[in-house]
Amino acid sequence: MNRHSDNSSTHKTVLAAQTLSVGYGVRLIIPELSLHITMGTITALVGPNGSGKSTILKALAHLVTPKTGAVYLDGRVIASMSTREVARQLAILPQGPVSPEELTVGELVEQGRYPHAGPLRMLREQDHAAITEALAETNMIELRHRRLDSLSGGERQRAWIALALAQATPVLLLDEPTTFLDVGHQLEVLTLIQQLNRTQGKTIVLVLHDLNQAARFADRIIVLQAGRIVADGLPKAVLTTALLSEVFQVQAHIISHPVDGFPVCLPYAVGEA
Amino acid sequence: MKERFAVRYYWHLVTLSLVVLFVLLILHVAVGTVAISPGDVIAALFNQPVTPFQHIIVWDLRLPRALIAIIAGAMFGLAGAILQTIMRNPLAEPEMTGATSGAVLFAVLWLSQGPGQLAQPGMVLPFVALLGGLAGGGLVYLLSWQGRNAPGRLVLTGILISSVLRSGTSIILLLRQDAIGSILIWLIGSLDGRVWVHWNVIWPWALIALPLGLACASLANVLQLGEASATSLGLSVTWARLSLFFVAVLLTASAVAVVGGITFLGLIAPHIARRIVGTDARRLFLFSMVLGAGILLAADTVTQVISQPVTMPVGAALALLGVPFFLYLVWRRSS
Repeated sequence: MNRHSDNSSTHKTVLAAQTLSVGYGVRLIIPELSLHITMGTITALVGPNGSGKSTILKALAHLVTPKTGAVYLDGRVIASMSTREVARQLAILPQGPVSPEELTVGELVEQGRYPHAGPLRMLREQDHAAITEALAETNMIELRHRRLDSLSGGERQRAWIALALAQATPVLLLDEPTTFLDVGHQLEVLTLIQQLNRTQGKTIVLVLHDLNQAARFADRIIVLQAGRIVADGLPKAVLTTALLSEVFQVQAHIISHPVDGFPVCLPYAVGEA
Repeated sequence: MKERFAVRYYWHLVTLSLVVLFVLLILHVAVGTVAISPGDVIAALFNQPVTPFQHIIVWDLRLPRALIAIIAGAMFGLAGAILQTIMRNPLAEPEMTGATSGAVLFAVLWLSQGPGQLAQPGMVLPFVALLGGLAGGGLVYLLSWQGRNAPGRLVLTGILISSVLRSGTSIILLLRQDAIGSILIWLIGSLDGRVWVHWNVIWPWALIALPLGLACASLANVLQLGEASATSLGLSVTWARLSLFFVAVLLTASAVAVVGGITFLGLIAPHIARRIVGTDARRLFLFSMVLGAGILLAADTVTQVISQPVTMPVGAALALLGVPFFLYLVWRRSS
């Protein structure tokens, strides 16, 4: 993607919000927020229910229009770009997407080529290649002709991720990709996301509920409370007993994972310490 | 796991359906007060020597009626498929656009107010009905619009506006009871007495609206993934929904304008089509058209056979079939 030297791209900001405020009607969900997402990193947005995680993600993808401020995608104001231009740069997987009855995995993933399609919206050779690649990466080739409503939760989520991959965008946003999955499938989906970051250099921003998973898979954690950023940085620096008590109102113990040393929080009581 | 059979051999299936449609056409032309053998029908159609009487019946009376059944059925089928896709609701049907009841109201107004128009509905009536259909559809869309356009609100507004327009029709019927017979037939939907004049009204609209609808299939495919996903794929959701709605209204209004308020066809045809070829709009739209054409043609043939000597309007037959089918769908979905 980047025509310049690799050194300059390692710290390049690919997605940014500048004094953003977002709300529905008179209710302000994000009062004022600025953040910069570095190219090629995994960023996790965490925070209690109603802290505005999903809203920020939607604003970053231009699914909601901010009241003030702006979102910059690759240095350009996202509101000034056509939806199709945005769709070639950035894909978002909404929370709990609902698929139409009887749609098959292959038919779903094909739609990812919509922003790239040529005249008459016919699929060309490069489109078929991208679809097959997306199915292969998510390990869905075998399930290509299966109906979505016949799949397990984990398989269905992989199919939706494949849709986002077929879109072939450098930036991928995911809103709670692990909800409704059991712990095995949660790890499977997150490992897949991590692989996409490592092998293809995709920039990933995801909303996560589970702090330990955020600590394990993200390069950077942003903690939100009432629409404001209250902590931002490396997982080890962010996850502290003070923060858990202040933001999540739990008393917790934080240890290093005995196998690989990632921080793990062990909450044991409700309320501030 | 293999691709489903009907998807793999989709084009074979379409070809086969077209052959079946042709057979249905021959049967349709053969059936009537004066029965003509299928052999003679084919002979007449290909300008082989038959009796002049048979030639006139085939070419001047029955062929236009059959062709109108095919084209109107295709339009109802496609309109239903489009609406079910944009509303993400397999129980949606063209009536919910307000186009059917709008067209009926305008036509009934015209029939009852224009002096001497009752005997000769002729050329002007379809245009009046088309105008009413577009007005009804436009009204539903405008009223359901509040900054953005949720499919749920579109359905509700459509049902409400349709009821209001239908009650308007009822009031006119009460006021003009002398004309009730001819209006009623038209209101239920019938192919009786449809000849080349009517064909000339419907085909130009079909020529515009059918390809337009088919061309919107990939839009519809993206749209049915839901608003957030569709937007993130670069689709302007509001614009796509408006264009598809407009195409559906155009299809419904111009079909109703010629054959009357036939209901349930737009529900049944796409539903059966979806069972066979799946949800992908690129296959669903075309196959709904073919099925819609086949069902209307077959239904009209059957009603002609069973309703001697009193003619039963094909719209009534379809409604009789459609209601149990609708109940079956509701029951199946809830179980």
